[in-house]
Amino acid sequence: MYACIHGPDASRLADSFSPFVEMVDEKTAVFSITRRQIKQAECLPHPVAVAATAEAAILAARNLPGYTFIPPGQEARVLGALSIDALPPDPELFETFHLWGIRSLEDLARLPQDDLAARLGDRGLWLQRLARGAFERPLRPRIPPTIYEESADLDHPIKLREPLLFLIARFLHDLTARLKSQSLAATALYLTLNGNQRTHSVPFPTRDVKLLLKLVEHSLDRQPPEAPIAKIRLELIPTEPRRVQHGLFTPAAPEPEKLELTLGKIRGLVGEKNVGYPELFDTHRPGLARPAGPLLPFRYFRPPLEARVTAERLWTRMFQGKILQIAGPWRSSGDWWHPDTWNRDEYDLALSDGALYRLYLDRAPKKWFVEGVYD
Amino acid sequence: MAAAFPLGWRHVEPLDTLPAAGRDFPRGRISEITGTRSSGRTSVLHALLAASTGQGEYAALVDTKDAFDACSAASVGVELSRLVWVRCGGNAEHALRAADLLIQAGGFGVVALDLAEVAPAALNRIPPTAWFRFRRALESTPTILTVVADHPLAKSCSCLTIKMPPRRAVFTGQTPFLLLRDAG
Repeated sequence: MYACIHGPDASRLADSFSPFVEMVDEKTAVFSITRRQIKQAECLPHPVAVAATAEAAILAARNLPGYTFIPPGQEARVLGALSIDALPPDPELFETFHLWGIRSLEDLARLPQDDLAARLGDRGLWLQRLARGAFERPLRPRIPPTIYEESADLDHPIKLREPLLFLIARFLHDLTARLKSQSLAATALYLTLNGNQRTHSVPFPTRDVKLLLKLVEHSLDRQPPEAPIAKIRLELIPTEPRRVQHGLFTPAAPEPEKLELTLGKIRGLVGEKNVGYPELFDTHRPGLARPAGPLLPFRYFRPPLEARVTAERLWTRMFQGKILQIAGPWRSSGDWWHPDTWNRDEYDLALSDGALYRLYLDRAPKKWFVEGVYD
Repeated sequence: MAAAFPLGWRHVEPLDTLPAAGRDFPRGRISEITGTRSSGRTSVLHALLAASTGQGEYAALVDTKDAFDACSAASVGVELSRLVWVRCGGNAEHALRAADLLIQAGGFGVVALDLAEVAPAALNRIPPTAWFRFRRALESTPTILTVVADHPLAKSCSCLTIKMPPRRAVFTGQTPFLLLRDAG
């Protein structure tokens, strides 16, 4: 027998009956019920229905008040009075039912099965079986997500790097074995040392312990723990494993595992924010905008060089010279609603040193800058 | 020549105006692009990156002075999503180390080491053995290591050196309504 509870705290109530509960929606819970438990179900404050099939119990609990017990074989009789709208919505079929004058589940249940299948197909037949309370299906109990984590409270805090990595490696071996048993892989790694969490996102799902350990190792190199480690927790975020189809004629590309380790090392060298791939934005801001056409290759001076300019000469801390030719000004401004606004006049100038520079006047502080060189 | 460089060459289309030797970059070797400001060295570098990423390869740019302009690079066909960009904040030592790591990782069509505008004192500190190490690491790989600099640095370790001559700016229109058309 199946029982269905329909109410705001259906999930909590259903949990008191069975560990295997299917949540049909937020307010509707279905579970398998024993004869001894039926008495307890009668006392619940919400609409409850007990029936031989899960779908009959759901229909009754959702549409009939109080406690309803449907004896086996009596489903069609008990549910027959319900409106046809109690069934899962199907606008096309419901319009047909309306044209045929079918208003209740009893009307639908009475229709000849073969003729209904010939006219409305499997979907019509399925709705009729629901209306008769005869549709049987297995319960689909909710499965709480498995958390892949290992933790340890250490009696003697770890001061050295190697013993810490040894412990992390042991955790990783255990966790990846658990992931493998479920045909999963890790997409991120959360390492909490003394309550401080570090996140390592892996660009591709992996179960490679060496790779994950190397990522942790690089992170510890970049940012060593501030105190001996007394508490450690490691969690892997599971996802579907990567499936790659290699091609014979595709150009060579860096191996993702090797590349991630390499970029991790380079990040440790030059800083986290200095490694990546360039991206342009949907803006008119100089240097960030997507190009509308071919542009002259340009090199930036970052930060721009502050300049002193007269009609004939230009001075910066790096170079100076006579202005041979100058084109401009090209005025641009934008993002006036943003603190990081820009408002400037740009010039292209040829200097006596033979180079072509982009000079601009920042109109807010009225200062000249050399932004870069055409090259 | 084909026997000497069995891994093939990277042909760069936009360089047709350059001498014939400058149009092809040998794979598995070090190439250098040298010249002064506005000589066109960045144009050659962008053309090489565009040719590489356009064929589906991955490229890496080690940008010592944070000078890379993604906007002009994208406009000549560089696929930015296939370009790893490492900014070194002016530190040549970090740039060399990053280039070494990228070469060791393998799989890149082009690794570009941009040392242009770096102070001569910093360049003088680069030991010659660094270039020998690069040359050794590149052997038997399809990677082109391109060094962009003001002057030749790799010397005998470099298989190809393109010296970009100074160019004249081309402005059109009448003063004061000039328009910069080309860098020469």
